[in-house]
Amino acid sequence: MAMRQTPLTCSGHTRPVVDLAFSGITPYGYFLISACKDGKPMLRQGDTGDWIGTFLGHKGAVWGATLNNEATKAATAAADFTAKVWDAVTGDEVLTLAHKHIVKSVNFTQDSSCLLTGGNDKIIRIYDLNKPEAEPQEITGHTSAIKKALWCNNDTQILSAADDKTVRLWDRNSTEVVKQLSFDMSVSSMEYIPDGEVLVITYGKTIAFYNALSLDMIKTVDAPASIHSASLHPDKDFFVAGGDDFKLYKFDYGTKEELESYKGHFGPVHCVRFSPDGELYASGSEDGTLRLWQTAVGKTYGLWKCVLPEELVSENSDTIYCTTAAPEIKA
Amino acid sequence: MSTLVTVLRLPRGPDPNGRGFDPNSTRFVALCPTTISASTETWTDSVEVGEEQRARSALRESFLRTLIAMTNKQVQFHMYERVEVEAKFGASDIDVLNFQVSELQTPIGVQKEALLRAKHRKMLLMTVYDADDPPIELPTDD
Repeated sequence: MAMRQTPLTCSGHTRPVVDLAFSGITPYGYFLISACKDGKPMLRQGDTGDWIGTFLGHKGAVWGATLNNEATKAATAAADFTAKVWDAVTGDEVLTLAHKHIVKSVNFTQDSSCLLTGGNDKIIRIYDLNKPEAEPQEITGHTSAIKKALWCNNDTQILSAADDKTVRLWDRNSTEVVKQLSFDMSVSSMEYIPDGEVLVITYGKTIAFYNALSLDMIKTVDAPASIHSASLHPDKDFFVAGGDDFKLYKFDYGTKEELESYKGHFGPVHCVRFSPDGELYASGSEDGTLRLWQTAVGKTYGLWKCVLPEELVSENSDTIYCTTAAPEIKA
Repeated sequence: MSTLVTVLRLPRGPDPNGRGFDPNSTRFVALCPTTISASTETWTDSVEVGEEQRARSALRESFLRTLIAMTNKQVQFHMYERVEVEAKFGASDIDVLNFQVSELQTPIGVQKEALLRAKHRKMLLMTVYDADDPPIELPTDD
């Protein structure tokens, strides 16, 4: 019997969710941080969506959020012109890094020793978290607001996407541009997959895949609607995307075929990411919610339970929660 | 026909009264660098943490030894409504939420075995005495 996707809705935010990030897999599971225009980024258990805590301190919309691999530190980028570093275990604010304009993006190096920031002042900054009072290294060149800045190539290079319709690859030491991609429109999102050095870029209705080292294009796929964010599965067999039409799309990476689409959100999807184990993906929306979706629908994982047909009519079956989602499954 | 996937429960939402980061969670207990404030310049001050840990260890050991010393001794519990009861002390549970006692002398009779809830005492002043030793008062933190 075919199973229909039951997304898990994580409520709590009161404004649009604009960014989300997973940690790596830790001895305590993996974690998820969400950035929201309500100024209160939240930490959740990654496989269940259970709220763990809220990072309180920003005085404006939070545009970017990230966790280090061990989920011991968090960083956030906000409209109050600061980036903040947090202890992700206690929820305490550890560092405030003042900027001259709205900060949009934050990213830790693999060893969590440095933080990359980027935002509306068009400058990429590298902060040494062991010497936070020292001036950050600055990388200039973009001519418009930076949307996303990410470490790549073992933290020796930096990828940045800006409203100047370019994606640039920088050398960390020389701070020079190594390579540049130009587009006809602004890039809406960027995801870097270290394993395999793949870069996922979205613009318009297109999801594009590039080699992160050479910036050679691997392939592009067009979706039925304008896409705001996409994520490639760790095994590189699927990718998911979401955007203006409120739906989540699942594609086969190899064949580029659209496999499934799901309704559920009540507003445009701003961000989507696969979990580090690939078992689920999370989406954040204008509707203020995060939703968790199963990669293999019907599998027992997290809060989802595989129920055999005979159990469905049993008197002893566990409470069954159903959302009002009306998923469309393409045959 | 397709069936909706079942879920065990919905994800837990935020606590309206607090910012979360439960200090009793496994992760917090394992990773939190005790009470050293996050405003220190270094992530951990290993000397201070070490000293604090030693002090905490000493206090824990002292508390456990006190409990051991009280085993099978006659104790007196001072409870609400000026109730005082005597019993033979057995053991405490790990979170010091309950005390196991025997021969509990209550106003309505003697209870052979009983579990006293630690919360149901206004102030716990256990007077431990033994026929051969002078009484010692052991105030507990409440």
